[in-house]
Amino acid sequence: MAIPILICDDSLVSRKMVQKSLPPGWEVDITLAKNGQEGLEKIRDGLGEVVFLDLTMPVMDGFQLLEAMKTENLKAFVFVISADIQPEARSRVLGLGAMDFIKKPINAQKLETTLKNFGLL
Amino acid sequence: MSGVPEITEDQRDCLQEIVNVAMGQAGESLACLLEVFVQLSVPRIRLIESKDITPELQKMIGGDDAKVSAVRQAFYRSSGRLDIQGEALLVFSDTSFHDLAELMAYEEELTLNAEQELLLDVSNILNGACLTGIAEQLESELGYSPPSLIGSNLATDKILSEEQLSWAEALMIEITYRLENRSFNCNLMFLMTGKSIRALLTAIDEFLDEL
Repeated sequence: MAIPILICDDSLVSRKMVQKSLPPGWEVDITLAKNGQEGLEKIRDGLGEVVFLDLTMPVMDGFQLLEAMKTENLKAFVFVISADIQPEARSRVLGLGAMDFIKKPINAQKLETTLKNFGLL
Repeated sequence: MSGVPEITEDQRDCLQEIVNVAMGQAGESLACLLEVFVQLSVPRIRLIESKDITPELQKMIGGDDAKVSAVRQAFYRSSGRLDIQGEALLVFSDTSFHDLAELMAYEEELTLNAEQELLLDVSNILNGACLTGIAEQLESELGYSPPSLIGSNLATDKILSEEQLSWAEALMIEITYRLENRSFNCNLMFLMTGKSIRALLTAIDEFLDEL
């Protein structure tokens, strides 16, 4: 059965880059969201079992989305994809319940390894 | 052909994303240099005509009488499809830069020399990361001259020479980094000819087509 995945990023280019980096043959249903608020609604609707999340977004950013998921007790495998590569940004999102932190620009091979590590492939 | 080319929404989004990634790398380098956590914001990008460069800078830095420090660094294509060359210009407001210098010089006395050295270091990190990041993501390599100080305590209309204003259009990138309880803004500009800017946009179109 296809896994519902959500790509949440305000940049069209970035959303496309994530889509392009997904492992070929991985059976997924892709949903897109342009900010944290849209993302949260999709997750509530069960469209994000695996979430690829950007941090800096308008309306509701990635940190706020993670907090909201915690409050509402929404479960998902969230992978933060961020240009901010300082260790503190990483530990902050992991503390908020994200599974892992992936550096931009996204690399298809590394993404595949990460997904395998979490048993998603 | 003269004048600044139009930039489409997709091109801007793409450039924004590329610069965002590059500034994340620069932020990490700065965090290491300054030993503080650097809070990043999304850089603002615009293409502007030469005649608008000085007024735009004044608007961002705050008033005609604001004093700035500025550093320049030439860049040119070394390999790859990104056929551009020009000058990178980094402009700090003096107050913003004093804050940064204070943060750095926690133990030493802040001499003018130390301040200028810091200015060159920070410029090198920001320019280098940004340009290298843009080039890398467009599968190219750029070469650089060493950064040199145009001056400190300058009026904003004294940054660019008449000669520069005669040929240059600018890709202007507004960067804000927040460090602990301080924030500093700087403006990074890439002065390029219209031809180089068109080459950059063409490379971006190719990149977009491949997505």
